[in-house]
Amino acid sequence: MGVSCVFSYPVPEGRSGAQVVDILQKQVETMGGSKTGTFYVDCETYQSVMLNPPKTLHILHNSEYPASCFAILDSGATLVADTLFIALMSNLKNIYQAWKGAKIESKGNRFQLADFILKIGSVSLAGSFKGILLEVEYCPCIVASECWAMLKELLQSLIGNIAESPPSALKKKKWMKSTPQQPQCCSTWTISTTLGKLPP
Amino acid sequence: MNQQQDQGQTDLIVQCLTLVQKLRHGVGQVFKDLSDGVSDYVEETTEKEDTDGASSKNETTSKDKTGSQKEVTVGGDKEESQEKHRAILRTLKASLETISHDFSDLEKTGSTINSVQSFSNIDNLSLDPVDKNTVMHSQLLQSYKWTNKMHEFATQAVTVLAQNSLKRTSSPKFTSSKMLKGSMHVACHVPPATVDQLIASLVLTYKDMGMDISISRPLGNSTILQVELCRVLRAVVVLRGLMIEWVKVKGLDETFESDDRQMDIWSSSRYQVFQKITDHAVAASLHYYAPAKPDLAIKSYLLWLQGYSTLFSSPCHKCGRYLQNNLPPTWRDYRSREPFHDVCRV
Repeated sequence: MGVSCVFSYPVPEGRSGAQVVDILQKQVETMGGSKTGTFYVDCETYQSVMLNPPKTLHILHNSEYPASCFAILDSGATLVADTLFIALMSNLKNIYQAWKGAKIESKGNRFQLADFILKIGSVSLAGSFKGILLEVEYCPCIVASECWAMLKELLQSLIGNIAESPPSALKKKKWMKSTPQQPQCCSTWTISTTLGKLPP
Repeated sequence: MNQQQDQGQTDLIVQCLTLVQKLRHGVGQVFKDLSDGVSDYVEETTEKEDTDGASSKNETTSKDKTGSQKEVTVGGDKEESQEKHRAILRTLKASLETISHDFSDLEKTGSTINSVQSFSNIDNLSLDPVDKNTVMHSQLLQSYKWTNKMHEFATQAVTVLAQNSLKRTSSPKFTSSKMLKGSMHVACHVPPATVDQLIASLVLTYKDMGMDISISRPLGNSTILQVELCRVLRAVVVLRGLMIEWVKVKGLDETFESDDRQMDIWSSSRYQVFQKITDHAVAASLHYYAPAKPDLAIKSYLLWLQGYSTLFSSPCHKCGRYLQNNLPPTWRDYRSREPFHDVCRV
């Protein structure tokens, strides 16, 4: 529940996503990281039926909190509920309907490196590969600006210049625990990390 | 100069040895001559006796016939034996003279040799040809070297320790009698009110430095300080009187409360970085142990702990990096409070 940063890692031309993920994983293992299982984050989007312009509702699951389900509205209002919340949504068909083909998910391996947790996930939108996300979490610290230099040092040996400057959101909000980088997964990561403050 | 003297001494010793050899030879010769001569003489006499016996028989049988002739032969025999006797005596005398000459020579040379100066018993031991003893000799040399080394280190340690005015050992040898007044027992048995008073003043002092200190006594007389430092760490410090007895450091998202709402001062942090800091903090509590001035000890200890407020944000003072073995600089210098990695501080 510490500070975490998410970076999108570009896939160079002529290489498949799986290859790049493999290289990254090998790098982490060389640095001394040990694999501690897999992770999974997904986001389903619902749209309101009646209202115009339609409002959207994102529902997220995170394998770090297997018994919980997170919801976020456009307005930024968030909700933490049991996993059964998704069943309730099917009863609200008349108000919110699932947006077909908008289910985005990221899954991959989870590595532990001393007090760091590294997650290398390949992101797919409705089943097709979209990119690679790297999440780095430093658990003992809770203030992002404090340990940013440390995170940068770790990341530079792993992904190079991508981690050169701190994410813009981090500059604004010193207390924020995580920063979204990829617009597609924005809500996913925001919620999966900001909600970390709340008891899972 | 010394070498020359040594050379002269060796020459003298060699000379002496030759003389001794000569003397031995001379004495041996004397004994040989003596034994040869005597045996010769004895043989002569027995022969003579035999002839004498025979002649006496002859005498009894034919007295007048051979009497005069016989006397002549006996007289010649006697003369011969006497001659031999004299010769033996001469040789003996000559040999004895050589011996006495040799002996006086030896005495003369011997007196000029200085007695060998023995340094210690070890030197005598090294002369001992028995094998098992020579093993002891090498061991003794080894231990001698070690003792020398130890002495040297002890001298250095004394110079280093003499610079530190705060003495922990309350032995009159190392501490002045003035220091002894506030002894360890006083530091342990301090009424809770005094502790409260001291801590209250410390709370005020350290509040500006981002250190929140709260005081509680869930375990009876022992005071427990709960320190929260600048959104970085939480520490629990158990005091016995005014002496620091136990320290534990945890992360801000961890708690010192067990499931049943009891104070839990035993469990360790789940983060490696805070486990490491706990180790260092325990070591520091020993460093700041000063029963003579317990209030100063607590004060400086908390000040040292305050140095961790930049735990995640300051690079190592030596290598200039943030991470070493994936851990931030977890050690703070006792004097300067500069951050160091565990491996960089040497």
